[in-house]
Amino acid sequence: MQSSSSPAAATALSEPLRRPRVVGWGRLPAWLRFTLLLAALVGLWQAYVSLKDVNPLLFASPRAVAEAFVDGWRDGTIPRATWTTVKVLALGIGIGALVAAVLTVFATLTKIGDDLLVLLTSILNPLPGVAVLPLALLWFGLNTNALLFVIANATIWPIAINVTTGFRTVNPTIVAVGRNIGLSSRRLVTDVLAPAALPHTISGLKAAWAFGWRTIIAAELVFGVSGADGGLGFYINNAKLYLRIPQVFAGLVTIAILGVLFETVFGVLERRTVVRWGMKTVPATSGGGEG
Amino acid sequence: MASTLDNVSRTREQPANGSRSTGEPLLSVEHVRLGYWTPAGFNLAVGDVSFEVQRRERIIVIGPSGCGKSTLLKAIAGFISPAGGEISVAGRTAPPPGPDRAVVFQEFDQLFAWRTVLDNVAYPLRVNRRRRADATASARQFLELTGLGHAADRYPHQLSGGMKQRVAIARALALEPAILLMDEPFGSLDALTRARLQGELNAILDRTHTTLLFVTHSIDEALVLGDRVVVLGNAPSTVQELVDVRDVGAPDSAAYADMRRRLRRLLANKGEEVDENAVFV
Ligand SMILES: Nc1ncnc2c1ncn2[C@@H]1O[C@H](COP(=O)(O)OP(=O)(O)OP(=O)(O)O)[C@@H](O)[C@H]1O
Ligand SMILES: [Mg+2]
Repeated sequence: MQSSSSPAAATALSEPLRRPRVVGWGRLPAWLRFTLLLAALVGLWQAYVSLKDVNPLLFASPRAVAEAFVDGWRDGTIPRATWTTVKVLALGIGIGALVAAVLTVFATLTKIGDDLLVLLTSILNPLPGVAVLPLALLWFGLNTNALLFVIANATIWPIAINVTTGFRTVNPTIVAVGRNIGLSSRRLVTDVLAPAALPHTISGLKAAWAFGWRTIIAAELVFGVSGADGGLGFYINNAKLYLRIPQVFAGLVTIAILGVLFETVFGVLERRTVVRWGMKTVPATSGGGEG
Repeated sequence: MASTLDNVSRTREQPANGSRSTGEPLLSVEHVRLGYWTPAGFNLAVGDVSFEVQRRERIIVIGPSGCGKSTLLKAIAGFISPAGGEISVAGRTAPPPGPDRAVVFQEFDQLFAWRTVLDNVAYPLRVNRRRRADATASARQFLELTGLGHAADRYPHQLSGGMKQRVAIARALALEPAILLMDEPFGSLDALTRARLQGELNAILDRTHTTLLFVTHSIDEALVLGDRVVVLGNAPSTVQELVDVRDVGAPDSAAYADMRRRLRRLLANKGEEVDENAVFV
C-alpha cells in the first residue's frame, strides 16, 4: 500500500514460513475462504431444517429467511426499520461525542474536570446501556428522546476517556517540536495534538459504536417506538409477536450485515490513517496480507 | 537569506575564523540554574552555567552523560525556565519557543508520524508563511543534502533511527534559524555518514552564517565543528572550561592532538592527570 519496496520485503520475510504448506486452504484468497465457510454453514443450517423436521414456528430455513429478507427489502419494511435505527444511533452517538468533547476539554484544562471525568467514567461506563432505559422512559416518555438519552449515555464515556487518554499521552517531544516551529496554540491542537491522539480517538469511536449498537437494538426490543416507525429491534419483536419466524431471522441477518459493514468502515478508516502512519500495527487476524 | 536572518544585524560582520567579538552576543547564558521537580524534590541538573555566543559562532557543549546538556539546550529553546539566572537571545530575555532557534532534539520520535518525510520538512516552512511550492522545493533540497531524497514519500515509521534523525536535521536547517540548536544529532549515524554530515553542516553554516549550539559526546566532533567548546562537569554542572578550538587545524596536526588530549583530560577528571590510553569517546 505504501512504498514500492515493502511488498517485496514482506514476501521475502514470509516466503520461508509458507513454503511447507504446498497447496491447501491457506493458499486461497481470503474472500473465497470466508465465502466457502459461510456457504458451508448455511448448508448445514438447511440440512438441519430439512432433515430434522423442526417446528417452523420456532426455527426458519435459510430459504424462508432469504425470502423474508428479500420481501422485507421489497416492501420497504426492513429499509425503514434500518433507517430508523441507524438515524437514532447516529444522532445518539453525535450527542454523546459532543458531550464527550466538552468533558474532554474540561478534563484536559482543569484538574477538577479530570477528576470528575475519571469518577463519572468509572461509575457509568461499566453500566450496561439498557440499564438506564427504565429511568429514561420515566423522564422522557415512550419516544425517541428516551432512546437518544440511552445511546448518548452509552457512548459519552468510552469516547471521553479514550480521547482524554489520547491527548494526555501525546509524546511531549512532538509537542515541543510543534511549538519550536512556531505553531499557535490553536494549530498546536488541530495540527499536532489531534492527529497524535487519533489512534485513541478511533478506539473511542469504535467502542462507542459497539456499545451504542448493542444498546439501541436491546432498547428497541424492550419497547418499540410508535408502530410504523420502529427500528430493527422493534421489527424483530413485532415479527415474533405475529409468529413470523423467517422475519425474525431476516432482522437478525440485517443486524449482522450492518455490523460487518460498520466494522469494515472503521477498518478502512484505520488503514488509511493510523495503520498507514505506523501509529497502530495491523491486527494479525482476518486474512493476513491479502486484503 | 531567510526572513529569520534578516533581523540579524550585518553591520558587524565577523570573519569566520575571527577572534571573539565584544559586540552584543546573539545568545547569552548568565548564571543559569536548571533542574526538575521530582517526587523527591527539586533535582538540580545545571548548577551555574554562563557563556556568551556571538553571531556566526559555533559553540559545542560537551560533558558527561546526565550533566544537563539537553536540559540547557531545552532552556535556550524556551521550553524550560531557569530556576536562577537569565537566558537572552538577540537581546530578548527568556524568549518563548520559536523557529529562530530551530531544535534537533536528541529523541528519535520528533517527526510527525502522520506526515511524509517531505511534508515533515515542508510543513514547518508553510507554518512560517512560505508558499507551498517554495516550501516543497526547499524541503526537497534539504532532504537531498541529508541524503534522503529517495525517501521523501515515505512515512517516518518506515525509516531507520539514523534516517529519522537526518529528517529532523533537514527540517531544522530548512527553517534557516538565527541559531541552530542540535542535541547529539549525529549520535546514531555510522562513522562515514557522520563525517559527511559534519562536512555538510560546516558548509551550510558557512553559507547561511547561522550560529550553532551543538551538544555532543565526541571530542573529535567538537574539534571538527566548533569555534569554542563549553566543557561541563558532573551534575549539578558548572562550566569547567571554555576552550577556543578555532585554530587546532587538521586532525593530523600536532595542535589538534594536543587539544584533543586537553579536552579528554578535562572531561575525564576536571583537569587531573589521566591515563592517556583510557577509552573515552
Ligand atoms: N523530564 C525530566 N524530569 C526529571 N529529571 C530529568 C528530566 N530530564 C532530565 N532529567 C535529569 O536531569 C539531569 C540532566 O539530564 P539531561 O538530559 O540534560 O542530561 P544530558 O547531559 O543531556 O545527558 P546525555 O548526554 O546522556 O544526553 C539528569 O540527571 C536527568 O536524570
Ligand atoms: Mg542529552
